[in-house]
Amino acid sequence: MRFIGNRLVPVVLAGLGLMLLGSSPMEPAIDPGGECAFTDPPEYYKIDLIATKRVPQARRSVGVAAVTFVPSPFGIAVSAKGHYVYDLAISIDNLRPSPKGVYTAWISTPNLDQIKRLGVLDDQMSIKGKVTWNKYLVIITLEPSDDASSKKWQGPVVLRGMSRSGLMHTMAGHGPFQQEPCATFGYY
Amino acid sequence: MMHHDMGASDSLAHRMPPMDMSMPMLPGLDDALPPVGPFLAGQEMDAMMFPEAVPREVAALADGDTLHLEATLVRRTINGKTFVMYGYNRQYPGPLIHVERGSTIIVHFTNNIELPTTVHWHGLRLDNRFDGVPGLTQAPVERGETFTYEVFFPDTGIYWYHPHMREDIQQDLGLYGNMLVDPKQDGYYSPVNREEVLVLDDILMDQHGIIPFGVEAPTHTLMGRFGNVMLANGMTDYRLSVKRGEVVRFFLTNVANSRTFNVTFGEAPVKIVASDVSKFEREVRVGSVPIAPAERYVVEVRFDEPGEVAITNSIQAINHFRGEFYPHVDTLGLVTVMEEPASPDYAADFDRLRDNDDVQRDIDAYRQYFDKPVDKELELTLRVKNLPVSIMLAMEIDTLYVPPMEWNDAMPMMNWLSTGTQVTWILRERGTGRENMDIHWDFKTGDVVKIRVFNDPKTFHPMNHPIHIHGQRFLVLEMDGIANPNLVWKDTAIVPVGSTMDVLVDMSNPGNWMAHCHIAEHLHAGMMLSFSVSDEEASR
Repeated sequence: MRFIGNRLVPVVLAGLGLMLLGSSPMEPAIDPGGECAFTDPPEYYKIDLIATKRVPQARRSVGVAAVTFVPSPFGIAVSAKGHYVYDLAISIDNLRPSPKGVYTAWISTPNLDQIKRLGVLDDQMSIKGKVTWNKYLVIITLEPSDDASSKKWQGPVVLRGMSRSGLMHTMAGHGPFQQEPCATFGYY
Repeated sequence: MMHHDMGASDSLAHRMPPMDMSMPMLPGLDDALPPVGPFLAGQEMDAMMFPEAVPREVAALADGDTLHLEATLVRRTINGKTFVMYGYNRQYPGPLIHVERGSTIIVHFTNNIELPTTVHWHGLRLDNRFDGVPGLTQAPVERGETFTYEVFFPDTGIYWYHPHMREDIQQDLGLYGNMLVDPKQDGYYSPVNREEVLVLDDILMDQHGIIPFGVEAPTHTLMGRFGNVMLANGMTDYRLSVKRGEVVRFFLTNVANSRTFNVTFGEAPVKIVASDVSKFEREVRVGSVPIAPAERYVVEVRFDEPGEVAITNSIQAINHFRGEFYPHVDTLGLVTVMEEPASPDYAADFDRLRDNDDVQRDIDAYRQYFDKPVDKELELTLRVKNLPVSIMLAMEIDTLYVPPMEWNDAMPMMNWLSTGTQVTWILRERGTGRENMDIHWDFKTGDVVKIRVFNDPKTFHPMNHPIHIHGQRFLVLEMDGIANPNLVWKDTAIVPVGSTMDVLVDMSNPGNWMAHCHIAEHLHAGMMLSFSVSDEEASR
């Protein structure tokens, strides 16, 4: 956790910055929605959602996305291409309604080339959805309206977080590979 | 893929497994070797001295029939390399034992390999005396010795047999075979044009042949020994020709030491029918079949489009050095779909997804126990000692993120160097703190026992584990608190990293039994426990 702590946030913010500059989202690889129930999701894979403090009603907000496998005949759930298939259950604490719009949940690949709108948070500030990416962002934004046809967000980012797999990082330049120059392996 | 040549092929010396040389070598490990001696079957003997193994033959047996089964050294040629392996009756896989449910057969087994061995009849709820566990149900069968098994088949489906001694070596070198148990009644399965028994495996080779094993203890103990050459029914070129529209029922078994496959059949529609010990409550369509070591799945596939369909292992592999997922596909076999239409046409039967009332009625008797308190709790963990410092350092970084499943050996050097002398894989009982064979549970016949298994993600090297319970059957009730909506009787089930699995075990078969991880290297690094089911009837 020592070096990741100061790497994860720039990755997320850089991604969000790209989004605000306008990327071209592709069709997301998401299963159709459906009911999912969570009673005991694995602590290890849960995603902490951190407030950006850009929205007054959300400055003290904290959130979490619980991650579990979609029920499948195999215990684990993977797609035909080998991606994990997860149910997400997002819930936010200390998030007050905003007069400027509705809080909307999104998921995205880390480089924002694929974006999926999960929908508007309910009165309990929670929502459920599915994801078939192995590494992804969870983003809550404040949108002017509930527009199900939206391909990407318009409003400010309220909270964001990254899947646990976002901690995976090249070993070049670290630990036993400290002498390996990152640039040799394409990292700058 | 390149190779660090550390020894000639015909000398008994360790050779480093092939690895992606775009990744730098861990500092200080360039000349490192596992701290156990090397082992190869028939080492220092000319492979041509041994008979060439032949493809599997069917042994169709009636109740009371006898099979003579012999484990021998054989000559095999894989990817153009000829070397010594093992075989049951000189076949690869071993003979396909084909019986009807309710049968009992006699198997006169002779061991003619250089290692002591036994035969375990995986998944069968048979007489405990014939379960094939050394030290628990029988003595090892030494070279030249024999043992007679009475093998009872109480359940329809696909099962398999394999050694229960140094499986990491013996099974990997070819000692495995299937048992196909037919139902007694018509209509148990949907009608299909053809049935295929398909055994999935992998083997670890370089340009000289098979990478040596460890003598005193397994190598590859952290992740298990992943192969780099895929085998279907022991072949690298499995092929099947079918007619257009043909529906094929595949009986799949994963006999690999460690690899979980994600099996796909191109764009052909697939429905899942059954698993280890029964059909599912309901048939469902699936896009792929993830199958862990020792698991079995029965799937039906319809081949509608003329042409070639690849049966693949399709995964998102991990490059730990780069910290990336990447798509990886291995071809396991090819199905040629001819223009000629299949007759009869079973499309309508295939399109219908059955509700299996017989399975649901069987399970109904156990639903009263679904909400019972947990009887036993296990956590899955490990302990390491004396691993090279650079491996310890690399693992500290590597385990910042641990995937739920390891689909590939992304750290072959570190994995190879970790042996059973340095790594202890652990089943730890919560409450008592007992570990592995210090755990012994006592049950009565008829007990219905809920066991909770937690795969601790915060250990030195977390990994998925396929947990196998001998001699009984169980239901996976919940995964991470989510009820399983489509139950099936199992004998082996995968526990991903970080997950909690609740199983309900039907303790119906008296005797002394084992439960263990079915990654061969984890088993032989300690990951097993024992339990007894007494003849005394439980009060239910």
